[in-house]
Amino acid sequence: MDNIQPTTDPVRPKAPLRSWFDVRGRSLSTLAFALNRLTAIGLTIYLFLHLAVLSLLLRGPEGWDQFVALAKNPAFLLLDVVLLFGVVYHMANGIRVALVGMGVAHTRQKSLFYVLVGIALVAFVVGAVLIFVE
Amino acid sequence: MQSSMSRRSLEEMATRRDRSGSLWLVQAFSGLLLVLILGAHMIAHHFIVEGGLRDYQQVLDYVANPFVFIIEIVFVITATAHALLGARAIVLDLRPSAATMRVVNWVLVAVGAVAIGYGLWLAVALQRAAGA
Repeated sequence: MDNIQPTTDPVRPKAPLRSWFDVRGRSLSTLAFALNRLTAIGLTIYLFLHLAVLSLLLRGPEGWDQFVALAKNPAFLLLDVVLLFGVVYHMANGIRVALVGMGVAHTRQKSLFYVLVGIALVAFVVGAVLIFVE
Repeated sequence: MQSSMSRRSLEEMATRRDRSGSLWLVQAFSGLLLVLILGAHMIAHHFIVEGGLRDYQQVLDYVANPFVFIIEIVFVITATAHALLGARAIVLDLRPSAATMRVVNWVLVAVGAVAIGYGLWLAVALQRAAGA
């Protein structure tokens, strides 16, 4: 419980939350970091919503199958596409952050970012098409 | 006295850094594990299922498989731990006081315990329903 980091680090911005949304003159790594944080917040909210929605299964086929019918609505599918973007981006950038943090390819982190996010974007486009086609 | 206190506070800071490093490693490894489990979860639940979502009976048939049951439990624990460690890192970025951070830590532990407990209870209830 007492593993609290010092909060007086001079390199941290004075208004960190506002700085996430201020894209002026930012480097690629800062933008990648900010987007990682935003997708993290979205995915955390989604995780708890998802757990709550799964409780519908306890109401039997009536409760769950009604929800499944609702989830096939185009507006819902659009939200799935947004979710998919959050997942694939957070995954790709998270792999980069973990590798670089462990000292792997830290001199080539920009290239690593382009490769991983490129793969993520391909997966996103394929997934988004499948969501609407299926 | 002064120098011994300084040395002690330096040692405490070093310990805290070690623990933060350990939490970072947990965050990183849980993230890498999630790439595999979440990838498999999304493919199994959404991309190979006709219509994109399993109906009630298909869900029960799926969780009746003991291997799937264990993977889903590992998934709930890993995803919750990863999400809440990430939330903690975000709160730390907002420069909270040490007292606020202590409260945040306890709240996150409580939320994590409830979420994991609920996830396990739900998985067991569904497996029982599948066996019934």
